[in-house]
Amino acid sequence: MNKIIIRKKYLMIQLNQLLKKGSRMKRLINPTVFFLVFSIINMQLFAQNISAMEILKTVDAVVNAPKDIHQFSRMILINKDGNEKVRESEMYQKGDDMRLVRFLSPADQKGIGFLSLPNDLMYLYLPAFRKIRMIASHVKNTNFAGTDFSYDDMSSFKYSEEYDPQLLETRDSVYVLELTPKPDVEKDYSKLVIQVRKDNFYPVKIDHYDKGGNLWKVMIREKLVKKGDYWIALEMEMKDLKKLHSTKMVVDKIELDTGLTDKTFTKRNLKKIK
Amino acid sequence: MKKRNLLATATIMIIGTLIGQEEVSINGYLQTDNRLRTGNNEFSWNENRLNLQLEGAPSDQYHYFSEIRLRGFGFPDVNQSSDLQLPEKNKVYRWGLEFREAYVDLYGFGSENLDVRIGRQIVSWGTADAFNPTSNISPDDLEDIYNFGQRLGTNAINANYYWRDNLTVNGIFVPIFTPATLPSGDFSGAFAPPMELPPGLIARYLSDVVILPDRTISKSSQYALKVASNLFTYDVSLSYFKGQDDFPIASNVTFTPVDTMGTMDISTVLMYPEVGVIGGDFAGSIGSVGVWGEGALTYPKKVSMITISPSFITPGQMDTIQTTALDDEPYLKFVLGGDYTFKNGLYFNTQYIRGFIHERGKGTLNDYFSFRLEKKFLNDELKVVPIGGAIAINNWDDVENNYGLVYAPEVVYYFSDNVELSLGAFILDGKGENLFGSIKDKDEIYLKVKVTF
Repeated sequence: MNKIIIRKKYLMIQLNQLLKKGSRMKRLINPTVFFLVFSIINMQLFAQNISAMEILKTVDAVVNAPKDIHQFSRMILINKDGNEKVRESEMYQKGDDMRLVRFLSPADQKGIGFLSLPNDLMYLYLPAFRKIRMIASHVKNTNFAGTDFSYDDMSSFKYSEEYDPQLLETRDSVYVLELTPKPDVEKDYSKLVIQVRKDNFYPVKIDHYDKGGNLWKVMIREKLVKKGDYWIALEMEMKDLKKLHSTKMVVDKIELDTGLTDKTFTKRNLKKIK
Repeated sequence: MKKRNLLATATIMIIGTLIGQEEVSINGYLQTDNRLRTGNNEFSWNENRLNLQLEGAPSDQYHYFSEIRLRGFGFPDVNQSSDLQLPEKNKVYRWGLEFREAYVDLYGFGSENLDVRIGRQIVSWGTADAFNPTSNISPDDLEDIYNFGQRLGTNAINANYYWRDNLTVNGIFVPIFTPATLPSGDFSGAFAPPMELPPGLIARYLSDVVILPDRTISKSSQYALKVASNLFTYDVSLSYFKGQDDFPIASNVTFTPVDTMGTMDISTVLMYPEVGVIGGDFAGSIGSVGVWGEGALTYPKKVSMITISPSFITPGQMDTIQTTALDDEPYLKFVLGGDYTFKNGLYFNTQYIRGFIHERGKGTLNDYFSFRLEKKFLNDELKVVPIGGAIAINNWDDVENNYGLVYAPEVVYYFSDNVELSLGAFILDGKGENLFGSIKDKDEIYLKVKVTF
């Protein structure tokens, strides 16, 4: 019965995402059609169990649910002695594959911009050199601007496209999945162990293992709030257990579905100072 | 001097006015840079710098930016007691004010896809590191020989048209030509071949006159066009530049005898040759290795050199000989480079450079290899560059006697956010006529401290 309820939530979330994808789709699906689809889904619930891949796809859908995001946040770098450094940034995201991050402080990093586009394209803008540089893949697994997030960590969250999942266990409140990189995907991590909340499919903890199978980094998402129809983590911390260093990202201001266009995610916009 | 003081006062007043406006962002840095020659324990560089950047974007339609640099030099220019009594104190504290950039960006100017930048600006083209043969708009700032790749601002109108998502057309018009700055002091000869006088001649005074192009559109203006796009997973561009080479070339040398012992006064006229440059570049990756390339095919206008010297055949007469200072045959400069970060965080960057900044003309280009290996420690608080520098080869048939080397290790300590300390060295060696060989006895160590605000 528990599995059936979860399955229902999963399908509802998937349907909800489908409806949000565009106003045209909304116009096409009237209440009658919605009722019919919902009835079919309910019948299917009794016939199937939710799979690891379905959970992961739902995770992707939940994390990337807003059509677009515009947020201001602080990245607090904490070393092993507890000393802190703060970086302030502005981030734009559209869908699950376009993201632009711009540093606002400290002064020596102000204006540094990072653009992530589909097909694994990444660009870095360094104001001191007045140039935009394409980021080669060897850089993608290095730390982003001194934080504990790699460029790859910062680029997007599309776990289902990059990892093969396996359901390890089902606890009272979370699923525990093990993700291994797909054969054609190059990652610095040998596997991820991800804990997904059952009630909203939000990933709340991700253990990152190195190529030797040792636990390397731990990401924890906290202060989950619901903004409209979307779940948002207002705090995200990445701990590097090898360096004994961590980075906490705190969202100070967030705007969702403001109608960002693709023009926001261009090299033209990357070098603009706001 | 009064004008310079007035300029400084006006600048401070403008800054003061702008500080009062909330939308203005003021950033910059303070830097002290001290260098010591290890051969003779002589200080070769002592500079304290205040760099100020003012900018704002009051709306999505425009943005403005200005950068000024106030520099104080540690070497007093005192030659007589009156120099110590000047109220300006400028002989004791030598200083300079540099107005590097001041421009406004107009976004969506006349068309949604058109951005225009007007004013003094530094235009940086090309995909290579530091050495960019396609970047000919902003003149080279070679005052500091070890910091090549720096550029001066130039007054320009710079328009970018963004057509569809992946095609950018960049057109630039520079009304007035600005020449490059050159190294001073005993580095001044680094970019010039040694002057060889005929046997028996002794130079007494050397003088030169630099002829700038007339301030007309046809003589002094420059223009450039670049089309940039993506091809597969590579960024590519093609460009064209029409203007003047920012390095002067001798077009007239006069030897004036001052006695019968062969002593001469030598005067030289320098001018800036006209050039057309077709450029192209790319950047991308092969596997996980970052790669880039940049090439510039230069079409120079022929420059003749007239040499006026005493006749050896008819004593008392002067002979005039015309030779070619710069042929009109095109020549190609290019850079191929790559970089890679190893799994342990070790970063390696290397470039092959065909033809350095000051080299021009077919048959005069040398080969250079630059390299840099660096690793960061202590959560990026410490950067160590154990191997860095460049090698020059000016004759592959006799490398042992025609090479130059600069080895430049460096340690950078990021003491805190915005504070960095750099300790490094330039160790030089070489033989023959090449860039590093000509300054091989000038090894230096340096200490820089920079605070960004």
